[in-house]
Order: sequence, then C-alpha cells, then structure tokens
Amino acid sequence: MPSLGGLLKKRRTKDSQTLSKELEAGSAQTQTSPNAAEDHHHHHHLLHHHHHHQPATNSGTTTNPTIHLHQPATNQPNQSSGAEKSSEGQAAPMQSVTHASPTAHPAGLPQSNANAASIQNIIHSSQPAAMQSGAGGHAQAQHSSRNDSRTTKGKYSLEDFTLQRTLGTGSFGRVHLVQSKHNHRFYAIKVLKKAQVVKMKQIEHTNDERRMLNRVRHPFLITLWGTWQDSRNLYMVMDFVEGGELFSLLRKSQRFPNPVAKFYAAEVTLALEYLHQQQIIYRDLKPENLLLDRHGHLKITDFGFAKEVPDITWTLCGTPDYLAPEVVSSKGYNKSVDWWSLGILIFEMLCGFTPFWDSGSPVKIYENILRGRVKYPPYLHPDAVDLLSQLITADLTKRLGNLHGGSDDVKNHPWFAEVTWDRLARKDIDAPYVPPIRGGQGDASQYDRYPEETEQYGMSGEDQHGHLFPDF
Amino acid sequence: MAESTFPSANKALRVGTKDDKTAPFQKISEDDEYEVTSPTDPTFRTANAAPASSSTGTHFFGGGGFGESSGPIRFNRSPFDDGSREEDEGADDFPPEDIRPTGAANQGFPNNYALGRRTSVSAESLNPTSAGSDSWTPPHHAKSEEQLARLKTAVSSNFLFSHLDDDQFKTVLDALVEKPIPAKGIKVICQGDAGDYFYIVENGTFDVLIHPSGCVQPGAEGMGNKVNTIGPGGSFGELALMYNAPRAATVVSMDPKSTLWALDRITFRRILMDSAFQRRRMYEAFLEEVPLLSSLKSYERAKIADALDAIKYPAGSTIISEGDPGDAFYLLESGEADAFKKDVEGPVKFYKRGDYFGELALLDDKPRAASIVAKTDVKVAKLGRDGFKRLLGPVENIMRRAEYESKPTSSGGEA
Repeated sequence: MPSLGGLLKKRRTKDSQTLSKELEAGSAQTQTSPNAAEDHHHHHHLLHHHHHHQPATNSGTTTNPTIHLHQPATNQPNQSSGAEKSSEGQAAPMQSVTHASPTAHPAGLPQSNANAASIQNIIHSSQPAAMQSGAGGHAQAQHSSRNDSRTTKGKYSLEDFTLQRTLGTGSFGRVHLVQSKHNHRFYAIKVLKKAQVVKMKQIEHTNDERRMLNRVRHPFLITLWGTWQDSRNLYMVMDFVEGGELFSLLRKSQRFPNPVAKFYAAEVTLALEYLHQQQIIYRDLKPENLLLDRHGHLKITDFGFAKEVPDITWTLCGTPDYLAPEVVSSKGYNKSVDWWSLGILIFEMLCGFTPFWDSGSPVKIYENILRGRVKYPPYLHPDAVDLLSQLITADLTKRLGNLHGGSDDVKNHPWFAEVTWDRLARKDIDAPYVPPIRGGQGDASQYDRYPEETEQYGMSGEDQHGHLFPDF
Repeated sequence: MAESTFPSANKALRVGTKDDKTAPFQKISEDDEYEVTSPTDPTFRTANAAPASSSTGTHFFGGGGFGESSGPIRFNRSPFDDGSREEDEGADDFPPEDIRPTGAANQGFPNNYALGRRTSVSAESLNPTSAGSDSWTPPHHAKSEEQLARLKTAVSSNFLFSHLDDDQFKTVLDALVEKPIPAKGIKVICQGDAGDYFYIVENGTFDVLIHPSGCVQPGAEGMGNKVNTIGPGGSFGELALMYNAPRAATVVSMDPKSTLWALDRITFRRILMDSAFQRRRMYEAFLEEVPLLSSLKSYERAKIADALDAIKYPAGSTIISEGDPGDAFYLLESGEADAFKKDVEGPVKFYKRGDYFGELALLDDKPRAASIVAKTDVKVAKLGRDGFKRLLGPVENIMRRAEYESKPTSSGGEA
C-alpha cells in the first residue's frame, strides 16, 4: 500500500520545484532575519531558485538587486568549482540581504527599502549597479565581505527583542528565546557574560565563535544574524530552531535505530565537510549541540570552539567523552579530530552511551581514550562497526576524513551506501522524526526548562571588558 | 543549549512532555507546512518502548516511568528509501534487532551512565612560542637525582605523563616547584575552586574530602567526607593540567610539616606544545629535504608530519636489514647510523640528524639495498608506505606531478 509519505516523495520527484517552494514557505519562518518584514516567503522562493538552479534564472528575480549578494555563500556547500573554493576565508555577509535585518520596519516591503541602513551596511562602499548582474554580485559579495562583518557591529540591541524563556545554559551564559519587536518572529539569543568569559580565559574562543559563525552559511549550520554588547554581556542573535536538541531525542529514545542514526550522521558529515572546506575546525560535536528544525533536519549550533585551522592547533578543548587521543595527549592536532568525534557521535546515537565513558571520572575517560579499545555492542550493524573503527582510531593514517579521499571516504563508506548525498544536502530527504511542534514558530516546548536569569540585561555601567570583544 | 551543567538525568526527560502525548503523525492534517508523515508508514519503536520495568531500564533512567510518561519516540521509515523502493518498506534497511531493541540489547550499557548534558571544557588558548613571542623558557628548579627518581616514579603511570618522550619528561620534572606546607589543616585545593596546579607529595600525608554539594561549605563538616589519604609519592589534581575544571575534592594537610611539588597548567602545556611544535618543524624541514617528496605541498607535508611515529633504537641495533622487503621510510631525528652492504667491508654510508633512509619503500616493497645500524642511541621518525598512500595517495602520482625524474638512489637515501 503506497503510503502518504511515499506519495509525497514521488510527487516531490516529479514536481520538486513546486514542492520545494512549499517547503521553503514553511521553513521560511525559521529563515527570516529578525528585522525581516512580515511577508518574506516570496523572496525566499526567489532565493531558492537561485540556489537550486543556476544564475540563468537571475533575470527573473532582479526585482531585488541585493539578492545576488547572498549567492556565493549559499552555493558554497553544493558547489566546488574552483572559483567557489577560492573564496575560502571570505566572510559571508553576516546580514544576508535576502533576509532583512531585525530592525526592519514591519511594513517595509520590498526589502530594498525595508531597512535602508542595513542594506547599506551590506552593500557598503560597493557599486550597487554591479549587483544587477549575477557575476557582478558574486564578485562584489566576495570582495566586500570583510567590510560587511564589521559594519554589522552594533546593529541590534536589546530593545529590538522581547526576551522570553531560557532554552539552555552554559558555563558563561545562556540562550534565550526572543521575539523580534519588528517582525514578531522568534529568534534565539545567546547571552555571554563578559566577566565570566574573561575569567574562563575564553576571549579568543568567543571572538572566534562570532567570526566563524559569521562566515558560514549552510543548511545544517545555525545562522547568526548579528551581535551586540552592553556593559556586561555579549549577545548573539541566531535562528530559533524549534525541534530542540538531538540530545533530548536521543535520551528519550535511549538509542536510535540504524537508519535514524545514519540520517543524522549523514547531515553532520555534510556540515563537517563544508566547515573543513572553509578550513574551520568545529571541535565540539555532541548531541547537545545538534538541534532539530521543525522538519527534523539538523542544525549544528554552538561554535564556541570553532576556529580557522589550516593545519594544526594546540588548545585542549571539547567535551571529555568526545576528545580525540591527540587532543588528550596535547600533541597538536588538526581537523581530523572532528571525524573522530563524528565516530563517537555515531556510536552514541546507536548505543545510547559513549565508548570511553567510565564511571563518571574524566581521568578514566582519558585513560580509555588513550588506550583506544572500543567494545562494539553485538547489535551494531557490521557496516557501522567498520565505519566506527575507521573513525575512532588514533592512527591518523587510518582515520577516515583525514586521508587522501577526504570527506568522500566517509561519504562513500558502505554504512552510508543508501544516502543520496546531493538530495540530502537539499533537505530533499524526509527526516526520520518530525518534532511535535504545535504552537507555531515560537513553540519552545521541545526545550527543557531552566532556572531563569536573575540579573537584568542591558544595564549601563562601566564596561571593563568591551575592548576585548571588538567584533561584537 | 550546549554546555549545560545540569547533571540530572531527569532533565533530559522533561522535553516537551506536553506535546509528547501526541504522536507527531496526528497533526498532519492540521498543518501543511510540516513534513507529512503517513500513519501507515512502518514505524520504529526504540528501546524505551520496552517497559521501563526492565531491570536496567529504571536504573539508568532514574525513577522509571520513562516510557510511559513521555510516550515512545516513533521514527518514520528509513529516510533513505528512494521513491522507486516504496514497496520495500525498508525491509533491507531495518534489521529486526534495530527495530525493537529489547532489554537484552541493553547489555553493555554502562551502569550509572550519566545521562545529563555534558559540559564543554577548555584550556586557555596557547600558541607555540616560536610562532609568537619567542624566548619562553620553561622554569627550572634544581632537584637531586634521588628526588628526580622519586618524582619520575610518582607520575610515570599517570596518563598525562606516560606518553611523554624523555626530553619532555625531563623538562616537566625540572619545572616542578617545591611547595612547603608549614602546618596541619591547610587546604591545598578546595573542592569547587578553579584548578590550575597539579601536586606530587614529597613528604607528609593529605586527606581527600568530598562534599556532596560540589564545593566546600562553611562549618566544621564543610569539607565533606574523607574519601582517601595520599602519602609520599602520591599525586593529585592532574585534571588541572588539562583545562580549567572545578576541583572535584578538597585536599588538606594532615601533618604539621609537609612538602609538595607543584606544576601549573600553563607551564605544563607550554612545555608539551613547544616541544611538539619544534619536533614538527623539524619533521617538516627534514621532509623538505627529501627529493622524492619535493613536490609535496606544505599541507601535505604537515599531514605526513602528523602521522610520523617516533621510534628509538639503542646503539648497535639494526633498523632495517638488507634484503628485507621495504615497507617504511625513516627520518633520523637524533643520533647517528651507518649503512652496510653484505659484500662490502665497513660502512657504505653515514647518517646523522636530519638524514633519511628507506624512502624507496614508499614506491614499492623491493628488498632493502642495505642494512642500517644505529651507531649511537638513535631516534627515528617512521612512516609506512601504506600509511603514506592512505594519506596522500600513491607516491608515483606525487612524483609525476613534479615530473620528478632524477634517480632516487642517487640522492640522499640509500637503502
């Protein structure tokens, strides 16, 4: 009996354009910038035509000249032409113009006059006329990108948002659900206490977090819309991703069936591939940092340890269960630690626990990591065991992802055999679990509750540490 | 979202309890914009569908009722069935044991596994001395031979020290600073405080106490319960050498006079990093000298440098033997070695620091043309042919791209 899901998929194959439009319309909510005007779906369609089809369609979409700006960044994950690759190290505009800024006037449509200031920021000193042609837009976006990231500084403020509840907490801050006062959409704001960041000696990591997030644009990575700071705190405005943490789903499920783990692992693999192409090491892969969007696709969040690392880096950071042996032994390490962590993640998804965990003692975990013995439970699929043993290996000449074939070695592994990677990259594969979000875009029911912050945000006063965070 | 410090397993169970009562499938008709999932799809129950009464189940989910209260998570069909395989219903993709893990499948699940969110950890960012401000030299605090031997014994089985090479180990021991503890009852470390020093006991005894609250409380019993005693040769606080973590226990002196050796994290990590960095630079410099590898890009050399294994040979030992199939390439990191051939009297070649041999083994497994014997104690960095190929592809391709034409035997290496 053909299932509804099956029909849907067939339909999608036949009419993928129409359908992807519909889906975009749905996901547009999560994609719209805090200052976007209400009616944004239209632009999203245009954007997506760009994205999926080549610039030939541009002529039809030039009603908004700034649309082209966004193109290089969105194309990057799926294209690997020399030109695209060479843009490595270039910042994507933090404030993508196709999504207007959170301070835009709600009624202001089309975008080009939604928020003149923000668009001015993006275009900056460039010649707007050049934007009319696809090629010009490309080049321009790449050239001006560094300026863009600077000019986004100070664009938002606490007054642009209504603060709602806490979605998560960390060592030096927390993440709030917020609502834009301008477009009434929901976002997540990460608030970091500067004093705490300084005390924990995480200044560099925090500046890197902002820089790296600002640079990346990928379907499986969280979008950073902007940042600001006041006398005490740093603020980062990001997408609100409704489905909650993969961590919560995993703990509720205890462990995932093989295909479910495979789906999430595959999306993470694409995200890592993209990050590494940008020479960015992520360093904190774990289910806690993977969010589910309303359709059940992943978004990697928390770039607190992300950093541009072309070759080698030294700082010990990550999460104990997920640290690679070369990190534990302070040898200096490269991007391949992310592939090790992918192995730990897949293991945890399939088993419900991590392979080196030992009676809650970090020292024992580290001893186990250095010893490197992994016990694979008998219920694991042999292909999974094979992949895991090639990811969770101390031998860098054997660790998949680090070898001659790069990330393709991971993607071509038999465990991923049924994954059609190009479709997955387009989110053209149904997620195995759709979070039950019933309350619309601001529904935070998938997130745990935390004690709320008692200290008021936005206090004026002496700013001791502001100079340490020049990008915010 | 990330980095939560909540250790309670139950936190994880609270997610969306309100909505969980409703399976995701029921809302299809309500909201088109969600991905549509058919109720007729085969669904997958995960482990928690097994009754929470299963012996281990209640154990790790602390409090039970896990399955009942929140309802089972049901997963859709395999995400990777393509349209053409609609009718398969994923039979191939779902081995039965995956569909319904039972209590038995829980074997291997660690007891008391911590189900809470895990906190990220981090040391301070460090960059190699030679890359930034140079001229950092590790502290040197003189010690007697006897003291050194004792210290060595004290830490040699510690995971942070056991993989150090001799030079690193010596530098680290030299950096330990003596810390006299002049009275009884002095708290050397306090539970909950930020940790930055590691300690080795020279003399005296120390009690280890843990308070269940996670940090020292005011009052007589504020340090909590005694869990251990540490005497001479013992050590504590090693996690502080890795990152800023709150101390897990309080350690307090029990004798009127005692002595500790102390080492701080930044010194420790600097020593390790600087020596690893220097070694790496050395490897990369050595590799640049190998004609066979002259066309490697710097990131490729870096990859090789990452993967080199340091091996030590005592004076007089044979590193490779003439006639054996070649399978690895060697860089001479320290010491000296000679090459011998069977029918030739005396050494045919002499190797010193920075020289290399056996590089032809990267091409094929032809028999070694000579034996290499360590003349002094020798340290080599070794890379196998298979490892090389896995990292960079066949060496022939690398040679081809530089149109490397000279005969490898004529330059540098021999065997």
